[in-house]
Amino acid sequence: MMVHEGVFNRLLIWTLAILALLVIYAPPLYLVAISFNASLQPGLPGLSDLTLRWYAALPKETALINALWQSLVIAFFTALFATVLSLLAALSYFELKMARSLWFLAMVLPMFVPGVIQGLALSAIFTHSGIKSSAMTVVAGHLLWAMPFAFIVILTSFSAVKPSYLMAADDLGASRWRQFRDITLPLIRPGLTSAFIFAFLLSLNEFTRAFYLSGRQNTLPVALFGKMNSGASPVIYAISGAIFLLSILIVVSVLQKAGRARAR
Amino acid sequence: MPFRRTLLIAPPLAVVALIGVVPLALVVLWSFWTWDPATYWIKPDLSLAGYAGILNAGRWTVILSTLVKSFGAALLCSLLAYPLSYAIHVMAGPRIQMLLLALMTIPFFTSYLIRSFSWRLVLGRTGAINETLQALHITSAPLDWLLFSNFAVFIGFVASYLPFAVFPLLLSMRRIPPELMAAARDLGAGFWRAFFTILVPLTYAGLFAGFLFVFVMVAGSSTEVQMLGGAGASIVSVMINDVMRVANYPLAFAISVVMLITIFGMVLIGNAFFKLSGLFGEDAE
Repeated sequence: MMVHEGVFNRLLIWTLAILALLVIYAPPLYLVAISFNASLQPGLPGLSDLTLRWYAALPKETALINALWQSLVIAFFTALFATVLSLLAALSYFELKMARSLWFLAMVLPMFVPGVIQGLALSAIFTHSGIKSSAMTVVAGHLLWAMPFAFIVILTSFSAVKPSYLMAADDLGASRWRQFRDITLPLIRPGLTSAFIFAFLLSLNEFTRAFYLSGRQNTLPVALFGKMNSGASPVIYAISGAIFLLSILIVVSVLQKAGRARAR
Repeated sequence: MPFRRTLLIAPPLAVVALIGVVPLALVVLWSFWTWDPATYWIKPDLSLAGYAGILNAGRWTVILSTLVKSFGAALLCSLLAYPLSYAIHVMAGPRIQMLLLALMTIPFFTSYLIRSFSWRLVLGRTGAINETLQALHITSAPLDWLLFSNFAVFIGFVASYLPFAVFPLLLSMRRIPPELMAAARDLGAGFWRAFFTILVPLTYAGLFAGFLFVFVMVAGSSTEVQMLGGAGASIVSVMINDVMRVANYPLAFAISVVMLITIFGMVLIGNAFFKLSGLFGEDAE
């Protein structure tokens, strides 16, 4: 867009934009910085007293480590199911003609169901039909949270599949399955990978639903929530900071890969 | 071939129905049942006790204040999202644009819990802001209203849900032909005139969708209030947690039904005005 905002207006708009970014990023990055401070009191560390001691102390926190394992297992299965189901949902979307926007709505609406209500409803059903809380009950809750995102990512990746490709293959006698396997699937594979990773992260970081659905073994966010409210310690800063940074790195690498794929 | 179509549609539909629709439908049904102290569960005697409970102990005021908070947060996020989206779409060069888009995507996939918690370290009595203010001798004692207050909760909302307002706006800005703003300039309109008479009206749809997304997310949120709210602070999701502490299922279900109707009502009304599927580059029909 060719626009001349003028210096003052440009400055004003950038100031507001940077302010908004600071609101999102400054505190978690401050938390990460604090986690390298040797002192028990939260504060920015000086360059001379940077330490990894709180990170070194993490393996001894067995409750947190067990919770982390539980979260990783749940995130893996959530991501797996979410990706496969969303792929089917996206394929259905293109099969449907009249009911497309209805189908889209049905797949995306679960995102807006409040976590507490979804968690409570599922846990009431599980308890009273004799299903014990476990990793799989959390997966059930997380699936509804992750699927809308996975669905949108996969749906977007279908823009790489030009209808002419499929028509050409059809003319050359390829079956529908063959068209899917040899044309559609390779073209949307980056989308499937992104969907899997995003669903994994959504599950790994989800708290409200897991709060209702996890059994004796807490997930990491549920364990963290308890610790945060009973006097936070630098170890909490360390694990929170590590999870936050790791999530960022993973998202950035997915976006970079997608960007490179688009450039090609 | 209808068989193939059924094979594709059935699994995702079954999952959404089984773990999404059925539980919520049961919540609606169960909200009319009676609390049974013998089993700590409910029995199928028709009762409106749950709904009557909403009118007790000021619970309806929590619902009302949740809606006010959602409205306020949605307004705040929309106001901030506009300059941010404009900076991303119009003012940033390609590299900065990529960076900003990444920075807007990341929050969806990081922990709301950790991000809300980190504000405690900034806003607390010994937090970064109070320490700085005192070191600069601007204040002599820590400001107490910074943390565990509505102020903190609203900051938490913006930090958590701002990206939900940015993306719909970006998508609707991308649909505006670039020549339009330039034409307005050529015809002598100043920046703000072109901004308010051309850009803003053409992005109403994205603005509205973003407002709606934030409203709905805040209405169903709990983490920000749990981490940053004061002693008396509440929001519907936290109230449901409290009600469930004494296993008052009918009341918890009744509150849930009121919230679900509100949220889905808003989303469906929004969808009628502006097809959500159109947002994602799909045929808006």
